[in-house]
Amino acid sequence: MSGANENSAIETAWCPGCGNFHILEALEHALDTLGTDRRRLVLVSGIGQAAKLPHYAKANVFNGLHGRALPAATGIKMANKKLLVLITSGDGDMYGEGGNHLVHAMRRNIGVKAFVHNNQVYGLTKGQASPTSEPGFVTKVQVDGVLSAPFNPLALAVTLGVSFVARSSAVIPDHLQTMMQEAIRAKGFALLDILQPCVTFNKVNTYKWYRDRVKELPKNHDPRDRDQALAAAMTWGDEIPVGVIYRGARPAFEDAHPILSGAPLVNAFTQTPP
Amino acid sequence: MTTNIRICGAAGQGVQSFGDLLARTFASMGLHVFATQSYLSRIRGGINSYDVRIGSEELFSSARKTDLLVALNRESMEQEKANLALNGVMILNTAESGGNYLALQMDKLAQAAGGTARMANSAGAGAVVSVLGYDLDALHKCLTEEFSKKGRDIVEQNLDAASRGYRAVAGHEGLVRAPKPAGAPSTLYDGSTAIAIGAATAGVKIVFSYPMTPSSGVLTALAGLSHKYGMVVEQAEDEIAAPNLLCGAAFAGVPAMTTTSGGGFALMAEGLSLAGMLELPIVIFLSMRPGPATGMPTRTAQGDLAFAAHAGHGEFPKIILAPGDLRQAFDLTRHAFELAHKFQTPVILVADQFLTDLQKNIPALPDAPDYINLHLAKKSAPGKAYERYLVTDNGVSPRAVPGGDSYVVSASDMHAEGGHLSEDFNVQIALQDKRMRKITGILNEFIKPEIYPEPAGEILLCWGSTYGPCRAAVNLLRARGRDVCMVHFPMVWPLDGAALAPLFEGRRVIAVEGNGTGQFALLLRQAGALREFSLLPRYDGLPFTAEFIETEVLS
Ligand SMILES: Cc1ncc(C[n+]2csc(CCOP(=O)(O)OP(=O)(O)O)c2C)c(N)n1
Ligand SMILES: [Mg+2]
Repeated sequence: MSGANENSAIETAWCPGCGNFHILEALEHALDTLGTDRRRLVLVSGIGQAAKLPHYAKANVFNGLHGRALPAATGIKMANKKLLVLITSGDGDMYGEGGNHLVHAMRRNIGVKAFVHNNQVYGLTKGQASPTSEPGFVTKVQVDGVLSAPFNPLALAVTLGVSFVARSSAVIPDHLQTMMQEAIRAKGFALLDILQPCVTFNKVNTYKWYRDRVKELPKNHDPRDRDQALAAAMTWGDEIPVGVIYRGARPAFEDAHPILSGAPLVNAFTQTPP
Repeated sequence: MTTNIRICGAAGQGVQSFGDLLARTFASMGLHVFATQSYLSRIRGGINSYDVRIGSEELFSSARKTDLLVALNRESMEQEKANLALNGVMILNTAESGGNYLALQMDKLAQAAGGTARMANSAGAGAVVSVLGYDLDALHKCLTEEFSKKGRDIVEQNLDAASRGYRAVAGHEGLVRAPKPAGAPSTLYDGSTAIAIGAATAGVKIVFSYPMTPSSGVLTALAGLSHKYGMVVEQAEDEIAAPNLLCGAAFAGVPAMTTTSGGGFALMAEGLSLAGMLELPIVIFLSMRPGPATGMPTRTAQGDLAFAAHAGHGEFPKIILAPGDLRQAFDLTRHAFELAHKFQTPVILVADQFLTDLQKNIPALPDAPDYINLHLAKKSAPGKAYERYLVTDNGVSPRAVPGGDSYVVSASDMHAEGGHLSEDFNVQIALQDKRMRKITGILNEFIKPEIYPEPAGEILLCWGSTYGPCRAAVNLLRARGRDVCMVHFPMVWPLDGAALAPLFEGRRVIAVEGNGTGQFALLLRQAGALREFSLLPRYDGLPFTAEFIETEVLS
């Protein structure tokens, strides 16, 4: 049986070449660069290949149910707002099974950072379509190809006035690290959509496919301008903009709430944790 | 001596505020009050009713018949007059006299007092106290308290309306026999408030619920107390989110609860199982109403016990508490948090529309914060890595929370002692055995059923809110010479069959349950505690009364 403190010693369950490795590495670098106190960090996830990441990092871990990372993270943040609560989970988990929670976590603008590994497929369950799969994407379940329109998480986040909305990709690790740092620094809810190649189940959106398309937002993009942000969020095709798309002006839930804005709730209990 | 006053009228006519005013007035006089409401699942129209039963001794059940019926419209009088007692009296809110009722134009009396039609309740209440032979003092005092914030004029108008109502039935003073005040406690509580105070004083800091009748009373009461006790009361996006959020809060070291009814509870099943797997102390308040599906939203039932006992996939320890009266609702709510934290497992507190809406005057509940023990781990041994799921003899592992010296790792997938994923069969067995060993400890703390008044040849077996009606029924039946007692269970899961079997041996058992199958009796039978029983069910949506039970037992 393995000890809990040396999480990074654990063998991963990812395929060789998986985009998740780059995301894990970028996260480690981002946390080190920011000098994050790992004991005050909680990595939260649901179920999926992406959702296993917390087990491979040095952090407290809440690896909950499929689709339910957001309510769990919200509960942790409400209980102890001094913790850095960071979700790393898949597109199926966050946009599919957990879609309703996403809407409402963004409405609350709770200070949780959501890093979504968006490989446009269900990896763990072996290759079914996800809410972000391209129309026409053929799988063993979607035998005639996906008919439904892809879900656009970024546009939704912009319309809800979320504090921080950004996109990056596992294929541009340095950019990804910067975006992670920006997301962690932002107050309120942060949504970072991370385009991630799945080498086993997504033969359409490959490393090359993403590399050919991702393009940094122009220098003059104003993330405080909602119309510009929405236009960037709606751009998907030969060019896919990456960078900080939007910075909303709403206060964080924990700052606006009459009770939460006081001392962390957990302080009410005098017992000192080990 | 007891008297039952029933207010009835269309939804939106103020039946509830009328009933509340009477209940408060009688309690302040030192009468024992037992008040229940019957309302429809709509905001306007239909007939609602409110029973205020008063007595010179503590009351445990509502009455079947009405001694004094106050009808706010003719339609409700026509419907309710069948339930009038032999010497019963009716007051009708009408200008037309000459029927077999006392005519009282409540809104006109209020207007004559310079007030608005909304003060009609005060006029009506004045008439009620007169017909019962009481004076106006207590009613006047209650009205003064209620309206003092709204200014002198409003107070004066209400007092005058009450006096006018009182005088309007002159000549009928004491027409309905009523009990003498008997020094009963002056504070009225309803079940929802008792539960909310229990939770708040126990240290709940996060309440996360999606509204659903009849659980919303507790949610509303908690929201009302949120500033006093420093609680975050947040409306959930759905009932799937609720237990997951509670798990997060508990993981981070804060007691949290959710409130729901059957349909919402069904959506919580996966999260309940998560709490079992992550070994987190969460408390779910389940207020029952008749099902299946959305069933009868505003009515009462005890139909979700079997579901609650078996809810959640996989096998994990779970505790179900079912308070029988208002004091127990307070105590068991606190106890739910104690047990959840001691055994690091979910607790379901079950009640129903009857108990949550029930109002009674009881000795004041202690409302100062008195936090339960969170049973958090002491400092871990130096040099040794902290393991959240350490295998122990009693199955309970030291629980740390994030933010301290140790990393806390919890996973929904099968995990080893350290919390990280494992697919090792031996680890699976070891960890499942560890979790299930907690049941032994829980059974050691099983709350013994109450036997009232003493063991007898025949047992009325009941659980949860049926306590009062069963207890009162036992008194009625014993007065007829029947050798019968009540056995009431406030804790209904888990069950130790061998320990409970002697209770029932050689006795005739009648299971009194608000469902059609005898769910608790069947759980006892499954546990090996009970072999034969006969069933006295009620599943029409209405609460048991002592007289209903008496009639059924005798028939
Ligand atoms: C309630 C529930 N439904 C279904 C599943 C099965 N399941 C596990 S992960 C998953 C989808 C994973 O996709 P995604 O979140 O995109 O993660 P990925 O593996 O692609 O990283 C599904 C359907 C589950 N664990 N729980
Ligand atoms: Mg995916």
